[in-house]
Amino acid sequence: MYREPLMPDEASTAYPNAFQQPVSGEGETPASAVKMTFTTNLTAVRGLVEEYARKAGLSEQRIVDLVLAVSEIAANTVRHAKSAGNLVIWHSKREIICEMRDKGHITDPLAGTRPPEAEALGGHGLWLVNQVCDQVEIRSGAAGTAIRLHMLLGGSRA
Amino acid sequence: MVWYNKGVDLLTVTVPSRESDGQPYTLMAIAGEADVTNREDLRGALDVEVAREPHMLIVDLSGLRFMDSSALHVILQANRALDRHGGMMALVAPQEAVAKMLRLTTADRLVPVFGSVADAVAG
Repeated sequence: MYREPLMPDEASTAYPNAFQQPVSGEGETPASAVKMTFTTNLTAVRGLVEEYARKAGLSEQRIVDLVLAVSEIAANTVRHAKSAGNLVIWHSKREIICEMRDKGHITDPLAGTRPPEAEALGGHGLWLVNQVCDQVEIRSGAAGTAIRLHMLLGGSRA
Repeated sequence: MVWYNKGVDLLTVTVPSRESDGQPYTLMAIAGEADVTNREDLRGALDVEVAREPHMLIVDLSGLRFMDSSALHVILQANRALDRHGGMMALVAPQEAVAKMLRLTTADRLVPVFGSVADAVAG
């Protein structure tokens, strides 16, 4: 059974900054999870997410949100990570979770939480992700980045 | 390592109307999916038209199923280049997914968005 990571009682003194704590391992994802490795095949990534989310019962409007969010994270992998990325999708009755990992390193713990300048020509990706998802968890360190996007089933936000 | 090998070839760009051919405005239609993997193709097509210094560059988005922030930045850069010589850009008929990201990034405040080419021409 999937266990929520990073509950307060799990906070480790080895990682005074929660941003640097690892997300829990892939062993916790259910056997029914769908996995995909991507490089530049982002159309296929979007197609997989759209199909999975529709089968799981996410509303059409929120499917658009999730597809955009996943594609923006994957675009960051293409631009910065210089490695393939891994996508794992699963869902419970409550929510769909997309976990994305690559070997890139996000150094700003607040990345994507502040709106870009009005005329900015960059920095919209993670901002968009935070706008359209119900919850975004980012953990990043020298070993790589893990991001979990949560979308509530039956809920609505954006 | 070539990391920008084209993952998708789904982006199509056509230019049905050009000011430099005597038309009242330049119309460019972007269709398919525009993202980080084909943004240089989009940039190339926009650069060609911006270099002709049209007064009005109308970008028809009605055939665009998806656009990510990488493609948006290419459009915003073209808008800025046009603005430098007094030209205007207008975006036309985005599908809901594209319209939403234009709103969330507030790009729709930098580049006006119209429902149709006729509306864009009328301003």
